[in-house]
Amino acid sequence: MSIVAPGKRPAPRFEKSKVLGGKIRKGRKSTNAELNVVSMVDMMTMLVIFLLQQFSATGEILFMQKDIRLPGAEHGQAIEVAPVVAVSTQVVAVTGQKVADVAELDRDSYLNIPALEERLRDEKKRWDFIHQNDPDREKNWKGDVNIQADVKVPFRLVKRVMFSAAQAGYFNVNFATLDVASGLAQALEKK
Amino acid sequence: MAGGAVPEAGGGRGRKKKALDAVVNVVPAIDLLSCCIAFLLFTAVWTQISRLQAQQMGPSGAPPTAEQQKQLQVTVSLTEKGLFLSTSAGMALDIPSLGRSPEGGPVYDVKTLAQKLKQLKTEYPDQSAVTVASEDAVLYADLVKVIDTCVGAGLSAIAVTAAG
Repeated sequence: MSIVAPGKRPAPRFEKSKVLGGKIRKGRKSTNAELNVVSMVDMMTMLVIFLLQQFSATGEILFMQKDIRLPGAEHGQAIEVAPVVAVSTQVVAVTGQKVADVAELDRDSYLNIPALEERLRDEKKRWDFIHQNDPDREKNWKGDVNIQADVKVPFRLVKRVMFSAAQAGYFNVNFATLDVASGLAQALEKK
Repeated sequence: MAGGAVPEAGGGRGRKKKALDAVVNVVPAIDLLSCCIAFLLFTAVWTQISRLQAQQMGPSGAPPTAEQQKQLQVTVSLTEKGLFLSTSAGMALDIPSLGRSPEGGPVYDVKTLAQKLKQLKTEYPDQSAVTVASEDAVLYADLVKVIDTCVGAGLSAIAVTAAG
């Protein structure tokens, strides 16, 4: 009996069949196939260009929160790094930490929010410490604060936040808005 | 596997010619692009957030300078009834609201406000300051809309204060 290389082979009754015998037959067709990757490279290049256009070197200064829906604006400027006061219909928070409940604020009649003022004073002290060797420290102080408020927040609450910020030395208020020029803002506004 | 193009075999009579096409190995390019895509997807900022700058007026804010006092004072008031545009030159214009929104607040006629502010800007080209005075019940969205309209009309030095 002759030595046969191991492997799959068609049954004797299928050996002559063109349909069933041909599938298992070896050594005729090359197993390597040429793949045209040019279209894939094209697609990847387009993806890279699109993502580079979206790229922002400053990163995300404000983080979108579930309970805060920002209003849209057409003439907004690029946002800058500053302490962020987030005002929703339930809480007031500074850089992610809750400082006051809106329900409690509605009960009292004061204009300022002491906890917020305290936090912003701390932020200013930190800025002063960082810039302690800067001779033009007073000139360089811009007093910017970003207010990220929900569309349904009434002005009486925004007013109190602004007053507290001013008491802590932050006179320039930046109202955070969604850039309507980008299509995503319109979609979020509709939502 | 990764060939840019399959080289043509040199033809001719008898003599062998060198193939004009060369196989470009695109595997490193794909690797580089994949890394770029992964990095850019990871660092992408999808929501474009902008800011509308405003200064504070009133007891807590910085006092107005002498130059500011000499300038024309333009005030846009947001009330329950609508918008009210006034200037220190004697102009007083009432822009009534267009109705009530589903949330209950008034729908402000910002288009008319934009037209009036543009007219004002053409009359006083150097004017850039405007005071936005708002009532307590006005929603933040409406306040931002009015500030945005002012900035769009060329009045970019916004001061926000409480009405009344």
